[in-house]
Amino acid sequence: MTFEQLAAKLEALFPEKLNSYTEFKCNFIRVKDVAAYKAVLTALRDEASFKYIVDVVAVHWPKKREKFEITINLFSIENKMRVFVKLSGEDNKFPTITDIWPGANLMEREQYDLMGIVFEGHPDLKRVLLPEFFEGHPLRKDFPLKERSWFNNADEQGLGLKFSR
Amino acid sequence: MINNNISEVITVNMGPQHPSTHGVLRLVVDIDGETIVNVEPDVGFLHRGTEKLAENRTYHQVIPLTDRLDYLSPLSNNLAYCLAVEKFFDVNIPERAEYLRVILAEMARIASHLVWVATHALDIGAMTVFLYAFREREEILDMFEVGTGQRMTSSWIRIGGVRADMPEDFFVRLKSFVERFDANVDTYENLLTNNRIWKMRTIGIGHLSADDTQAYGTSGPLMRGSGVDFDLRRDEPYGIYDRFKWEIPVQQEGDTYARYKVRMKELRESNKILQQALEQIPATGEVMTDDPRVALPKHEDVYERMEALIRRFYIVSKGFKAPKGETYQGIEAPKGELGFYLVSEGEERPYRMKIRAPSYVNLGALNKMAKGHMLADLVAIVGTNDVVLGEIDR
Repeated sequence: MTFEQLAAKLEALFPEKLNSYTEFKCNFIRVKDVAAYKAVLTALRDEASFKYIVDVVAVHWPKKREKFEITINLFSIENKMRVFVKLSGEDNKFPTITDIWPGANLMEREQYDLMGIVFEGHPDLKRVLLPEFFEGHPLRKDFPLKERSWFNNADEQGLGLKFSR
Repeated sequence: MINNNISEVITVNMGPQHPSTHGVLRLVVDIDGETIVNVEPDVGFLHRGTEKLAENRTYHQVIPLTDRLDYLSPLSNNLAYCLAVEKFFDVNIPERAEYLRVILAEMARIASHLVWVATHALDIGAMTVFLYAFREREEILDMFEVGTGQRMTSSWIRIGGVRADMPEDFFVRLKSFVERFDANVDTYENLLTNNRIWKMRTIGIGHLSADDTQAYGTSGPLMRGSGVDFDLRRDEPYGIYDRFKWEIPVQQEGDTYARYKVRMKELRESNKILQQALEQIPATGEVMTDDPRVALPKHEDVYERMEALIRRFYIVSKGFKAPKGETYQGIEAPKGELGFYLVSEGEERPYRMKIRAPSYVNLGALNKMAKGHMLADLVAIVGTNDVVLGEIDR
């Protein structure tokens, strides 16, 4: 199955809700409607053999109207094909896909941690790489690039330690 | 025997200084008696913000950052990143550079798998294989030193080719290594494959089914150990891997022993690729593309031609501009699928770089693999995951 055939098949299932294009040898499917998002992903998994979830990527576009964008990277081992499913949103709330692929759990937690995307319905949405008391989401474009003091005077971890400068 | 009438779940802490966690992996383990109920990995102790750093560096300056991801196979990381950037430009890589890339990537795979078998066996209690495996790994690192000047973080693969040609001594050493290596793998297998204790500690431990591996996204040996015949070198070919003949080892059992067998066979298959690459590699030739969009002009040109001097100065100080768009390149790294997702806004710096780190994703299946096993088996399960914390924390 080529990407054109897949795009035609999906277009028949979800008319006028998708925009498929190829860019730099990568195949993208943009979902225009949030309501169809999970149905498209489920259809890709069940009917087009995209069982292997590779990655979840979030991008911040502060100058655009739709400020956040999620890209799901999927691979079909049967068809040896890779597609990227894209969804944009005005705010940082996106539906979770942990119920479709359990492996998305850690990937979504990372995007929540670094980009501040709230995945609605995620079973365990908390920081993973940064400490719990970290303020802000560093991969956002408005995150200031400057030296930070990791521990302020308050003892946030409750260790009984003093971190004053 | 667990007394099921008085079930009491207690939480214990494992790591981050535990020797079997291969770095700074902290596991919060809920145990009922000695049976694992739940494992939650706590990572991030080594977080350096590589993705954020990359947004403020030029495309060339990102290469040394990629070395520090999976520090056991830095050249695979370089390769994945450079291939991703080259996708923007459709660069033509010189023949000799393509072969050198394959040679370096396969050597990195052998080195990484050797560390894996050594430490995994050491964790479980087989001390001897550690010494033998590190002997061969040392030889590979010595070859890296001869060829690239660095043992670990060499940054040798560049956008458009490799940094420079290898000295003759590198090929002499590599030829001798390739000839002996199969016998060395036999030595490790003699020590482990039919070892009764090894089998008891690994067979049936950390089971993952073929569907689970795909749903959890665990790639590499974790997938092939569960009966999924998938290798990016064949299924989404990059570089010149289509010119070599090798087999993709697949085991159906999906346990720790199966993954051990897959990695052992991969050592031999990588050796086969090295052998063929050494036979096919052209004797001389350029190792860096002359594409002016990405490559630095040569030193000889810089000394003689003004335009080359300006171009070199421009690329070094400002960087080159990538076309607007998004692209992704995944490679079969030793740990699994390593991918770089690049978003470009037509500037000298990537607008967003997402690293798809295989160890991080493989860690997501840890709870699934460890549930119901004994606490002592957790060491084997972490070992079979082949985690490298530099890559997980990024």
